[in-house]
Amino acid sequence: MMRLRHAAALCAVATIGAVIGASGQAPAPPPPAPGFDLSGYWTAAMHEDALERGAGPELADYGGFPINEAGRLFALSYNASRVTLREHQCDGYVAPYAVRSIGNARGWEERDPHTQRLIAIHWYNQTFEGHRVIWMDGRPHPPAWAPHSWMGFSTGRFVGNALEVQTTHLKQGWLRRNGLPESDQATLVEFFVRHGDRLTHTSVITDPVYLAEFEVRTTDFFRQHTDHQTWLFACDDGEQILGRAPDNVPNYLFGENPFVGEFGGKYRIPAAAYLGGPETAYPEFEARVAGLTTADGASKLRPAAGAAVTSRAVNPEPSDDDIHVWPLRDNVYLLTGDRGNIVVQVGDEGTFVVDTGTGRLADKVIAAIRRLSERPIQFIANTNFRPEHTGGNVKLRAAGADPSVRGSFFALQFADAGVGATIMAQQNVQTRMVAAGRPAEGNPSDTFLEERRRTFHNGEPIEMFWQRNAVTDGDSLVHFRRADVIVAGDVFTTTQYPAIDLQNGGSVAGEIAALNDILKRTVYRHQEEGGTIVVPGHGYVCDEHEVVEYRDMLVIVRDRVRALVKNGATLDQVKAARVTADYDPRYGAATGPWTTDMFVEAVYRDLSRRK
Amino acid sequence: MSQLSLRLVVSGALLCALTAAPRAQRGGPPPTPKAQAAFDITGYWVSLVNEDWRYRMVTPPKGDVAGVPLNGAGRQAVQAWDAAKDEAAGESCRAYGAAGLLRQPGRLHITWTGEDALSIEADAGTQTRAIGFGGARGTPGTWQGVSTASWDRGDSPMARGGFFPGATARGGSLKIVTTGMKPGYLRRNGVPYSADAIMTEYFDRFDLPGGDALLVVSTEVADPTYLVTPFWTSTHFKRQRDAAGWNPRPCSTR
Repeated sequence: MMRLRHAAALCAVATIGAVIGASGQAPAPPPPAPGFDLSGYWTAAMHEDALERGAGPELADYGGFPINEAGRLFALSYNASRVTLREHQCDGYVAPYAVRSIGNARGWEERDPHTQRLIAIHWYNQTFEGHRVIWMDGRPHPPAWAPHSWMGFSTGRFVGNALEVQTTHLKQGWLRRNGLPESDQATLVEFFVRHGDRLTHTSVITDPVYLAEFEVRTTDFFRQHTDHQTWLFACDDGEQILGRAPDNVPNYLFGENPFVGEFGGKYRIPAAAYLGGPETAYPEFEARVAGLTTADGASKLRPAAGAAVTSRAVNPEPSDDDIHVWPLRDNVYLLTGDRGNIVVQVGDEGTFVVDTGTGRLADKVIAAIRRLSERPIQFIANTNFRPEHTGGNVKLRAAGADPSVRGSFFALQFADAGVGATIMAQQNVQTRMVAAGRPAEGNPSDTFLEERRRTFHNGEPIEMFWQRNAVTDGDSLVHFRRADVIVAGDVFTTTQYPAIDLQNGGSVAGEIAALNDILKRTVYRHQEEGGTIVVPGHGYVCDEHEVVEYRDMLVIVRDRVRALVKNGATLDQVKAARVTADYDPRYGAATGPWTTDMFVEAVYRDLSRRK
Repeated sequence: MSQLSLRLVVSGALLCALTAAPRAQRGGPPPTPKAQAAFDITGYWVSLVNEDWRYRMVTPPKGDVAGVPLNGAGRQAVQAWDAAKDEAAGESCRAYGAAGLLRQPGRLHITWTGEDALSIEADAGTQTRAIGFGGARGTPGTWQGVSTASWDRGDSPMARGGFFPGATARGGSLKIVTTGMKPGYLRRNGVPYSADAIMTEYFDRFDLPGGDALLVVSTEVADPTYLVTPFWTSTHFKRQRDAAGWNPRPCSTR
């Protein structure tokens, strides 16, 4: 009888509501229901681009992709043997490409157990075990200095009958796995819409680095009513080619990709058509295909003459004159805002700081550190001598003063015992800073000459590794071994070409060796991402994947310049050849402290003197 | 619960559902399909040939049928394809029939021709499809066949009222079912569909940040004559502000 009363009450409420609605005194319209449920097992219909998505794309087939010159040149330079490199063997797929993969997918909802609010929608791709989390709870995207991942950071909302998803913070990956790149600056808008047991997924990729227009793909899935079960896609890297030099990254010089004509020969399509570009996706192009000439195709194989392109990347460093703290792992934090990245380890034994920024915001840096720990700054490690990494030395050293310490047994040797933090660096940092007339109290007093400096602080082994003749002759990596955070200094940045300073002991070979040294110390967590954190001297928080791409870039540019030098090219001829054309929209600069021209000149002069 | 109680609950639920029926059904004519439109589909749309590029932008080689779930008869028909023969027979529009038309690089011009009828014009092959709501439009045995449309909102009948009046789905897709098509090609190189083919399409519009809009057409072609399973494609178009590039041209077998 209770149930009967309950049903009657429900009916009364609903009826009253309907009557009110009909009387014209309309209540607020009911909140729209979520668009649909993505939960379940999904299998991709491979009726479109079947060969590409199954066996793999044909080499140099870029038709219909609205790529720009840089995207095409990057792809033409790509040698598939690159995947034999240890660090590339387990490269995952970025989110938009993972959807195009041949494997199955699974979706499920994550709801708050008490309120039943939708927190997130999960989408798991079997291929490379790509697990996407689409946050539905309105949380903001992370800041520009946050790490990137294969799946990126996604937020969703229901629009009409679709789930709309916006994704940022993607790693560099593939638009198509024949070398066609998608940069780490790409953003993604997606629409999932269901028609019964059919799911249509639309992805819209915007990439200021490699695309001239947004790129659209639509992918169909059908719902399975049973579990596919085969969900694992395990990958561990291994030794595939023994004895290969560590500075060998398989690539083709501009205009020398031997497979570029294969696709055209097979399908009788002119190269100028299948080498892609925005025009190749529009209907007008159909009438033009037959008239394209060999010369039209050849013109797409090398950089066009003209001015260099500058970076279209988002500046990952804040410019609001404030210091922002980003937790890295355990008790280690990134402080960003004073141009050069600063890393801080806190603990009972006092704070350990790596680099000190330009010093312009030193008071704010100190305040931010104080919010993390009230202990004095015990150590400062400098990764190099440059002002944006040592500019705050004086103030931060002073902030390490501890009146309770009145010297030590070594007070005669270390006049600053107890009066400030101890500044550590490779000896050449001190030498360069003294020569530059920098304030003595900000110069390193605890230096080392060879290989490494090590200490055990706050329960953690910390090592500094000298990188002989990298961007300068005094660069060090700082490795927090328990937190597994490597602070790379200017050996690695995400904002510019390596600032190889020949006058201060830098070299191309040393820089490549330094990048490889980072890679010797990193361990990824899963599919070439996560694991060891690498903090660049400038830019966003990384893992080994970004270091690999950066290393590859430097080796490839070196190979191009070396080939030109071997043929007797002058510096002007090397610059005119635009040897960095495929990387300029990512790293290029026409003005500022480190331009593309300065980088190319440094590489040229370094390789020329070694002839 | 006793039999009496159960009957009372069921009766109550029915009464409840009736009284809470949508207001649209009370007094006055129901809104027309045009008035009920889930989104604005009208205007000019240009195809972006980002997928199946070498099957769409150029005529693929004979026998290249990757991705199409053809049966034995379908594969035989593919081998019999002869473009010159089609042309000589006045059958140049085989790849421009309804089941192949949207895969052609081209532009669409979509208009309401009445309160319950749409027209989809394609400049590729100068084709026009007539689409009716509530009843089929078009002519059986022609390239474009006959099409019936409805607004598909994905909600269940139980969600339209009763205890849960708020549970109606938002938005919706334009669903079009097309039959009576003259036999044609799914791809230009003679991949066939027969007169028995039934095509079901869902049109969805997605508005992008920055002002662009996409029209995505999810298509299923079921054809027991030539296909093992239904053939699925999804084809996308970008909205244009005007008729720029509109270029009606005849069918071509090349």
